[in-house]
Order: sequence, then structure tokens, then C-alpha cells
Amino acid sequence: MKSATTIYQEGNHRWVVIARDAAKPGYVIDTNEYLISRDGDNLLTDPGGSEIFPAVFAALSTVVDPMSINRLFASHQDPDIISSLGLWLDCNPKIRCHVSRLWDSFIPHFGGDDQSLQSIPDEGQHIPLGQGQLEAVPAHYLHSSGNFHLYDPDARILFSGDVGAALLPPDEGELFVRDFDQHIRHAEGFHRRWMGSTEAKLDWCERASRLKIDMMCPQHGAIFQGEDVMRFINWFAELPVGLSTFRHRRLA
Amino acid sequence: MSTQALQHSSSQQLASFVRLNEGIKGVVLIAFQINIMALNAILLSHRAGEVALGFGVISKELRTLSVELTGLMQELSSDAYQAVNLISDLLRRERRQHLLQATRQQLPQPLPALDAILAERLQVFQARGQQVREVRLRLLDRLEEARKLCQFGTAISRSAKIEAAYGREYGRALAEVSQDFDQKIQTILPSIETLCAGMQRI
Repeated sequence: MKSATTIYQEGNHRWVVIARDAAKPGYVIDTNEYLISRDGDNLLTDPGGSEIFPAVFAALSTVVDPMSINRLFASHQDPDIISSLGLWLDCNPKIRCHVSRLWDSFIPHFGGDDQSLQSIPDEGQHIPLGQGQLEAVPAHYLHSSGNFHLYDPDARILFSGDVGAALLPPDEGELFVRDFDQHIRHAEGFHRRWMGSTEAKLDWCERASRLKIDMMCPQHGAIFQGEDVMRFINWFAELPVGLSTFRHRRLA
Repeated sequence: MSTQALQHSSSQQLASFVRLNEGIKGVVLIAFQINIMALNAILLSHRAGEVALGFGVISKELRTLSVELTGLMQELSSDAYQAVNLISDLLRRERRQHLLQATRQQLPQPLPALDAILAERLQVFQARGQQVREVRLRLLDRLEEARKLCQFGTAISRSAKIEAAYGREYGRALAEVSQDFDQKIQTILPSIETLCAGMQRI
């Protein structure tokens, strides 16, 4: 079963990470889900695939009534992000899933309809949560063509989807990045291949560097905090990504 | 029955209905051939005149039979399509049920709301299962109807052979046609029997 760990709490405002499923079959990529609770509203980011739904649901039940989750946020359309939507809707038919407008007719193949899917316009939007609001920050082409991150300006936390993700070996399962240089080796290959556009990457780095971020929370791997956030942004800005690196690899 | 066993059983049902649909295509093709043959036989009997009056009547009957058989097969095909849709839905529900049950087992404490959802889903699931059973029974009825139609076809194709014997100078041509009729009808009957047996096994 996954475990639930609170990473931020300020009154009724809380971030909980659901991560590290030791019982997960090896062929399913490990994922991090984040529960953002505020004043009785509960939003779950990238709720994951159908296969891990039982583990996510059970872990959530240790910190919140899972039936009270009323919003989902899908950074993009991949199965490891949102193929559990049908199961969430089985539990709460009133649940609303925020996702890029590009995918609102694709994701219903996993479940949901035009009522349950709330399209986010390309330029992003505010998503209300309790007395506050979150910001859906455009991250198109990183890696999906319709891709968003979720910024909580009050908690100063950025949920960064696949940006910042790392494919960690089983013996390096720490929740937070402890040694940036050591950690980033597990992120390099992923970012080179999955992030297809240098232009999109630099645009994101420029915008992200202007946000006040205490924690950057990716969907796979470990959480960056403090100075490691800016360290990551700088590292990412310098990293060659996309087709040029792929061609180079083919020639080598 | 466990969810896995149910899934296996639904998968088998799905495969059976898909096979049924393939079998129907074969019967429709033969029915079409009978229709063309009967049309040619009607023309031939017209040319033969009075000596083939009886043969002409029988050819018309065979043509009507082929049209009825085609219609019946279209209805069967439509039922099989409905069954495939229902079973696909059933399989999807089974999978979700399995995952929700797994969720229930992993919960550190019972969650009555989840139990209620599982119970409600089980009811819907059982209703879907009942719908599948009803479609299957309807299919069996239609297959039985098709079998009777083919048995009638066998009888009249034999009559066609007898009538061909009165065809004088057209006798040989009429005999060849009646032989072809008989062969085609004989081909359909085992196909229908196989389809019936396939449906009964589900």
C-alpha cells in the first residue's frame, strides 16, 4: 500500500503526498499523487491509473474521507495520470476533473463526460479551492501538447507533473531530494526523451523562475524543496532535450 | 463466483458471440448464392415452359426462403452485436468491480459508502447479466427458426430434383440446378447446427 505524508499544513490548508507503493507490480511505473485540501474542498492531482487506484484510495483513506474528494486535476492525458477516472466517478459521480481542453474528448475513453470534465483553456486558469484558489499553469509540450502544472500561491507549492520527474531505483525511495547531484542523474534520461521542445522548456523555466516556490512536486520521483527548486530550473534550462538529442543518439 | 472467474466466463461469452457473427456471415453468403441460383432457375423454367411449371414454383419458394433466411440472419447479427456490446460493458464493469473490491480489501477500516457503491454496482452488473441471458435466448429462438427454414429448404430442394425429372429436353439442366440447390441447403444446415451448439454451450 502507498503511504500518505503531509508535506504542508497551515490551518485548514494542507498538501499530502501519496507515494511509494512497495506492493506495486514492477511493470507499473510508480507515481505520486497529491491531495490538496482547503476548507473542506479536496483536490487530487494526477490520480493515477486504474491499476493503482486501490492503493491510492486506501492510502487517502488514512488522511481524509476518500468519498469527499470533489476535484481531480490531470496534468495531461496519459493512462498513468488519469485512467482511474471511471473508478473515481463510480465513487463520486459529482467529481469534477480539470484538464486541458485538448483532452476533454479523449479522456472520456477512460470514463467521464462533458459534465465531469472541466476544460482548462490554453492560457491556464484559476481553480477555486475552499477560500483560496490554485493556478493551472501552462506547461504545453512538457511533455504533452496540452499540459498544465498546478501552483498553490499560498502554500508556495508547484505540482509540476512530469517536469522534475525521476525514475528512481528501488533502493532510493526518499520522498524529498537530499542530494541534488546524485538525484538528478535519475531525471536526466527522462527529461531528455520526454520533454520534446527546447522552446517550451525555456519558456517554462523563465515563468517558473518568477514564481515563489518552496516545493516542486513531480508526479514521479522525489520532491524538490528550497534551493533545489531553482537548481532544478537552471539544470533543466541547460539540458538538451527533444529530437536533437534523439538524432544525436541515433548517429552515435 | 470470483470476479476473475466471471471475467473468464464473460470473455468466453464474448468470443462465442463473435464466432456466431462470423458464422452468420457464412450463412448470409450461401443464402445470397441460393437467391441468385433461384432467380436463374425461375428464368430457366420460364424458357422450359409447361414442362417446368412445378420447377418454377419450387424455385420461387427457394428464392423466398433465401430472402427469409437473409432477414433472419440480419436479425441474428443485430442480436449478436447487441450481445457483444452488453458483454463488453459487462467486462468493463467486472474489471471495475474487481478494482473496487481490491480497494475495499486494502482499506485499513471498512468504508460503508464504498460497500454501498459495491452493492449498487453488483445489482447493475446482475441486471446486465440478465440482459445477456435474454439476448442469448432470443438468439437461440432465431437459430431454431433458421434451422426449420433450412429443413423446409431441404424438403423443397428434393422436390426440385423430382420436378427436374419431368423436364424432358430441359431435364438435365434442371437436374443440375436442383443438385446445386440441394448442395447449398446441405451446407447451411450444419452451419446453423454449429451456431446453435455454440450458443447452447454459453
